[in-house]
Amino acid sequence: MSNMLEVKNLHVKVEDKEILKGVNLTIPKGETHAVMGRNGSGKSTLSYVMAGKEGYEITKGEILLDGENILELEPNERAVKGLFLAFQYPIEIPGVATMTFLKAAMNAQRKARGEEELLTPDFMREVKSAAKMLEIDSAMLKRALNVGFSGGEKKRAEILQMALLKPKMCVFDETDSGLDIDALKIVSEGVNALRDANRSMLVITHYQRLLNYIVPDVVHVFSNGRIVKSGDKSLALELEKHGYAQYDEST
Amino acid sequence: MAVKLNQSEQVLLETLQKTGADKLAADFAKVGLPTRRNEAYHYSDLKMLLGDVPALTTGAISTSALLLNIEGAYRILIVNGEVQISDEPPAGMVVSTSKGGVVEPENDIIAKLNSALTKETLNIDLQGSLETIIHIDRRYEGEASHINDGVELYILDNSNATIIETFSGSNEAHLSNSASKVILGKDAKVTHIMVDLSGDRVRHLQSVQYELNESALLHSLIIHKGSALARTQLFAKFIGENAHADFAGLILGNNEQHSDISINIEHNVANTTSSENYKSVVLDRAKAIFQGKILVAKDAQKTDAAMKHQGLMLSDDAQILVKPELEIYADDVICGHGATCGQIDEDSLFYLMSRGIEREQAKSMLIRAFLAELFDEVKIEALKEALISVADEWLEA
Repeated sequence: MSNMLEVKNLHVKVEDKEILKGVNLTIPKGETHAVMGRNGSGKSTLSYVMAGKEGYEITKGEILLDGENILELEPNERAVKGLFLAFQYPIEIPGVATMTFLKAAMNAQRKARGEEELLTPDFMREVKSAAKMLEIDSAMLKRALNVGFSGGEKKRAEILQMALLKPKMCVFDETDSGLDIDALKIVSEGVNALRDANRSMLVITHYQRLLNYIVPDVVHVFSNGRIVKSGDKSLALELEKHGYAQYDEST
Repeated sequence: MAVKLNQSEQVLLETLQKTGADKLAADFAKVGLPTRRNEAYHYSDLKMLLGDVPALTTGAISTSALLLNIEGAYRILIVNGEVQISDEPPAGMVVSTSKGGVVEPENDIIAKLNSALTKETLNIDLQGSLETIIHIDRRYEGEASHINDGVELYILDNSNATIIETFSGSNEAHLSNSASKVILGKDAKVTHIMVDLSGDRVRHLQSVQYELNESALLHSLIIHKGSALARTQLFAKFIGENAHADFAGLILGNNEQHSDISINIEHNVANTTSSENYKSVVLDRAKAIFQGKILVAKDAQKTDAAMKHQGLMLSDDAQILVKPELEIYADDVICGHGATCGQIDEDSLFYLMSRGIEREQAKSMLIRAFLAELFDEVKIEALKEALISVADEWLEA
C-alpha cells in the first residue's frame, strides 16, 4: 500500500445542498499536496468530512486512510489511526487547561495503541521540546485551551499538538489565515520539520503565499465542490497570476 | 378557611402537637405544606412531592461511611439531630449546644417546622484567624426517620473561618429538615460550604440564614448531589455597610431527582455588593430549579448585585427551571441577572475528539470545564480538591 489517503468520488450534502460533488484525491505516502480554491468552494467541508465532523451527509464515495475506509469511524477513532486536522479556527475551551488537554489526547492515542500512559516527567519533556521549536511561551501552556491566544498562537498550538501526536496524515485547513509573516515562518518551519517519508500532508489554502514555505509535491485546484485540475507547484503560481475564474464554469 | 390536609400533613400536625408546639400546630392546620400557589414553592410543591413522613427521631449511632474527608479539618458530628463532640476544638473556637432551634426566616413554614422540632442546636463561636477548616458532618442514620437539626455559627468581628457542612447517612427514606444560621461580625471573612451527599431515597430540606455586618466578606457555596428531593432555601441579609458576598451553588441531578436552590438576598443598607453564580447540570429525567430573589431596600443606595444561572442539559427529558426576581426600591443601584441553558457544545466536543479523546471522556472534560469556575473560587486547595472529587464521582457514576 503506497497511498496514505484516497478520496474516491466523494459527494457530500449539508441540509440538502450538495457541497462536494465528486472529489477524487490521492496522496501517496511521504508526499505533501495542496488544495487551492476560493472561499466557499467547499475546501473546509472536505477537511471536516475527513475528520468526521457531524452534520454532513455523505451520499456517495469513500475516504481511505492507509487503505482503510474511515467514513464510519468516530472522529477520535480516525485520530488514533493517524489523521490530524489543524483547524482554521481552533476552538477556545475555557476551563480545560492546555496541558490537561495535551496529556489526555496523547494518552488516548497511546491507549488505543495498547501502550502505557505517559509518565508526567516524560510528558513535560516532550511538550517542552516541541514548544521550543515552535517558539511557544510556557506561560501560554498554562492557560485554558486556546483561550486568550492570538491568531498566531492558536495556529502554533495546533502544530504543537501535531508534533506531539505524530500523525501520519496531516490536514491543514487555511493554516495561514490570521498569521503575520513571522508567525507564518515559524508555523511552516514546524510543519517542515515533521515532513518525512512516512507522513503525508494536505495543505488547504486560498493563497499561494503559504506554499512558498511549505512547498508541495502536487497542487490541486478546487472549484465548485471538486478538484478540477492538478499539477506541480507551478500551478500555484499560475493561479496567483490568473485567479480562479477560469475554473468557475466547470460544474 | 383551613385546607384539607393530606396524610403527610396529618403526620406533621400530630408531630407538632406531640412536641407541644401548639401555636405552630394551629397555624399549620390552617395552611398545611406549601403548594405551587405559594410563589417560593411554585416549582417544588411540597404537598405533592414530600411523600411519607416517618416517625420523629433523635440520636443514633453513625454507621455509614464518611463520604467527604477533608485533610486536617476539625470535624463535629450531628447524628440524627444529636451533637457529638469528641475532639478538643482548635483555639479560637467555642462549641456548645442549646435547646430548640434557631433559624426562622420570614414566614417560611419549613424553617418554622425545623425550629419547632429541633431539640438541640449546635452553637459555634469563632474568634481570630482559624487556619483549621471546620467540618460539620450532619448524618441521618438508621431506619427511615424524620430528623430536624440546627447549627448556629457566629464569626466574631475581625475573624476568619472556613466551614463546610456535609449531609449524608444511611440510604433510607429519611425526611431531614436542617437549618444553619451564620452571623458574620464586623470585618469577618467567611467561607461557608454545604454539600448534600445523601442517598437517592432521602428527602432533604435545608434553610440557611446569613447576617452580614459592616465590611463582612462571605463566600457561600451550596452543592446538591444527593437526595431524591433536595431543597435549600437561602436567606441573606446585609445589615452593615461595605459588606460583600459571593453566593454560589451547583445542582448535579440525575435519575428522577428533584433539586431546588432558592435564594433570597436582601440588601438593606447602602454600599453593599453581591454576586450570585449558580449552575445546574442535569441528565436522565432530573429536574433542577433555581429561584433567585434580590431585594434592594429604599435606603440601600450604591448596591451592586449581579445574578447568574447557567444550566447544562445532558438529556432530552431533564428539566431546568429558573426564575430570577429583582425587587428594587433604591434609585442608585446596579442590579442585573442573566440565565443561560444549553447542551454540550458540539464544536468543542468535535475538537477534543479530533485529537483522539473518546466521546465520553471529552464530554466529562467539558462538564468539568463548565464547573471549574465554581471550584476555582475555593482558595483552600484541600477543600477545592474534595469538592472536585464530589463532582468527579458524580460524573463517573
